[in-house]
Amino acid sequence: MNATFMHTFIRPLAILYPMAKRWLHRFHGGVFPQTYKSLSLKHPIKSTPIPERLILPVKQLSGQKVAWHVAVGDTVQKNQCLVRAAKENKKGIIVPIHAPTSGVIHAIEMRPLPHPSGLNALSIIIKPDFKDSALNNALNVNGEVPETPQQLKDILLNAGIVGLGGAGFPTFAKLPNQTGIINTLIMNGAECEPFITCDDVLMQTHAQDILKGAVMIAQILGIPSIICGIEENKPAAIQAMNAAAKRLTKKTSQINITIQTLPAVYPMGGEKQLIQELTGIEIPAKTHAIDSGLLVFNVATFAAIFKAITLGEPLTQRLVTVAGLGLKHSYNTYALLGTPFLTLANAGQPTHSIQDPLIMGGPMMGFQVADNHVPVIKTTNCILVQPPKPATEIMVMPCIRCGECMDACPVNLLPQQMFWHSQAHEFDKVEKLNIFDCIECGCCSYVCPSHIPLVQFYRHAKSEIKHNHAEQQAAELAKQRHEFRLARIEREKQEREARIKAKKAAVKKQAQKPSDASSAKSAAMKAAAARAAAKRATQQESKQEIEQSAQADEISQNSPPPLSARQKAIDTAKKQAAAKVGSKVAPNKDPRTSAKQAAKKAAAMAAAKRRAQTSLKNDSNVTAPKTEAKTDSNANPTQTTEHSKQTMNDKRTQAMEAAKKRAAERKAQQESP
Amino acid sequence: MEGWFISITAAILIFVGLAIVFGLLLGYAAIRFKVEGNPMAEQIDKVLPQTQCGQCTFPGCKPYAEALAKGETEVNLCVPGGTDTMILISEITGLEPKEMENTEAEHKPKETAFIDEDVCIGCVLCIKACPVDAILGATKLMHTVIQSECTGCDKCAPVCPVDCIDMRPPSVSIDNWQWPEPKTKLESSLEITLKQNSNLLIKNQKGEIK
Repeated sequence: MNATFMHTFIRPLAILYPMAKRWLHRFHGGVFPQTYKSLSLKHPIKSTPIPERLILPVKQLSGQKVAWHVAVGDTVQKNQCLVRAAKENKKGIIVPIHAPTSGVIHAIEMRPLPHPSGLNALSIIIKPDFKDSALNNALNVNGEVPETPQQLKDILLNAGIVGLGGAGFPTFAKLPNQTGIINTLIMNGAECEPFITCDDVLMQTHAQDILKGAVMIAQILGIPSIICGIEENKPAAIQAMNAAAKRLTKKTSQINITIQTLPAVYPMGGEKQLIQELTGIEIPAKTHAIDSGLLVFNVATFAAIFKAITLGEPLTQRLVTVAGLGLKHSYNTYALLGTPFLTLANAGQPTHSIQDPLIMGGPMMGFQVADNHVPVIKTTNCILVQPPKPATEIMVMPCIRCGECMDACPVNLLPQQMFWHSQAHEFDKVEKLNIFDCIECGCCSYVCPSHIPLVQFYRHAKSEIKHNHAEQQAAELAKQRHEFRLARIEREKQEREARIKAKKAAVKKQAQKPSDASSAKSAAMKAAAARAAAKRATQQESKQEIEQSAQADEISQNSPPPLSARQKAIDTAKKQAAAKVGSKVAPNKDPRTSAKQAAKKAAAMAAAKRRAQTSLKNDSNVTAPKTEAKTDSNANPTQTTEHSKQTMNDKRTQAMEAAKKRAAERKAQQESP
Repeated sequence: MEGWFISITAAILIFVGLAIVFGLLLGYAAIRFKVEGNPMAEQIDKVLPQTQCGQCTFPGCKPYAEALAKGETEVNLCVPGGTDTMILISEITGLEPKEMENTEAEHKPKETAFIDEDVCIGCVLCIKACPVDAILGATKLMHTVIQSECTGCDKCAPVCPVDCIDMRPPSVSIDNWQWPEPKTKLESSLEITLKQNSNLLIKNQKGEIK
């Protein structure tokens, strides 16, 4: 009653003051663009032929794998599953793709995406055989309404259903796991963008399917009430939905279905705006509708859900509006997913040859595609064909701070402030102005008298902020890893030092018990034994030795190499024999010595023998304690080192002995001539 | 006379007493609430890009931050941080902002290291050079770079004996694609109007000639 009074009062006022229309809806702002909806509503749903090629882009997210069910050259049937998320994915955000018609997989290659970036994505190219032979009940459903939310979610995942309103979020992921969480199911039939009429047409033709789909979901999730919001500029759809609702409420009395007429204002179809209009609840920032016990789907999504549950049909086609001022014949059609944009646009009798980029979506939120051959995807609700714009229309003037954008913003933001800061690249300030609550509806750009592309600035600022946050996180990670690395290097160093210390301590301990006495003693003993052996050897073969020493002297002065080698062999053999006789422990270093050294040693032995003969026993007695003292002095500092140094000690004593022998030999040489 | 003297001494004593009390209080507070470390170094370290690249001639971001906090070095040495970081540093330290020497490197997009795995001989030199442990591998086995951890410091490329590491910009995908900054067509539209005006001028001139 009150509302009707408001209407009767405000309508005439709106002629004088157009913005008075904003008083008719609950959310702030909003704009009233010319709708152009009659362009495509004039004609019935047009049937378009199957195109020559179907292009199905495979959504690939980083860290998410897909499992291929087909390869190039395979023959596929309509509704056959082509690719789906790999089972190892933890979060299944990728929905399967099904063949929209029968044919052959022509190629799997990179093709441009219908995305503002114009990037390429791996796509399955199907060459249709125009038989359109289909798999019936491809999803293997029994036609019954599933009992648990999980069963429902499985069906929706297998059917590849995503939100058909435009966001394209997988429907199964949006549903709660338990019953009773949702208190209101909202059907979005607002369709506020100019030119687009596909939901309107769908509601007119498939009202029963849409409502049945909604009732199924309500039954499974235990939702008591369903509200369907339709803008007042779609009277035929409202009528059809009301009729269908009446028929259904007779069957299902426990669920309350309401069809509500909404004032026609852009952006009524925004999720948060629609919720506010229908329920009065304002969804808080950074939360989702589901947190407030609400679930919102587009009407086309409900129709797809109904088909999947009752017929087992996956999502392979959708109603698309092909409209625009550049077409003589705007129309709606059931387009197979993968149909190139240009094919559909050309079917609408364009007024000019299409050179400019086509627009996916409406004039407010749509974007220009980089290539007009991009395919229809699940979220393509409209292909907009506009006549080429004259250059003078895109004059951007400076911001005059009129504040129109602030009045138009449906989210109560401060578009002007955000614009100035994003222009100055002060993205932290833009973020503080809650830019992430911006729904990019384009109301601000629409009302801007200076034609500033405000939404583009916000989009850029948003991606910059996201990028900066990612960089900050990366920097934090790098810092942590660098600090960890430094700590690790420090720890390793300490561990190594500790290990060395422990080893040294162990060696010290070992050395303190037997080594300081034994190593020196054993060295002395070895030296003594060697000397004794030498003596014995000289006593046994004194004569030969003398001769040999004389020969050796000669050889060392002037002898040919073969002889010296032979001599050396004889000498070493003799020495070895002598050592064996003397003691088993005696060091065996002879094989390494060269011929000269062997000769020298032989001479030294001779000298030793002579000394022994001339009873120079005192000399040997003097040298023995000397070696002992020396080995001791060596042993004392080396006690702390590893026990490999004990062997080193032995080697040293050997070396010393050799040195002494050499000294003795020199003496002998000095004496002999 | 005496009263006057007493009142002055009393005043002096009171103020001397107050001075002693507050002096003691401040002295105690200076010891009790002493700030450990240099908080400025932490602050500077936060604004540095943490690439640990060593282009500032310090062995990492933190040593540079510490040197800055002590005022021992210049504010314009962080090449990956660029002018923005330089301004932040000068704001924190209160030092005079200085122009960056290498302005070309500033606008270079962040690159990450890639190892040509067919060429890699498994020498572990790059693993030792990496300041953030972003290279995986073992002796005589192929190495690879963990892309998400690479800071693009370019320390690994010069040490590679077979020159199999190159720095590449990240590939653009739907995940990391960014909306471009809109061109304010103000300049271009101004140009158009200027052109139109000049055309008009020419026409006028011609008219005059006629």
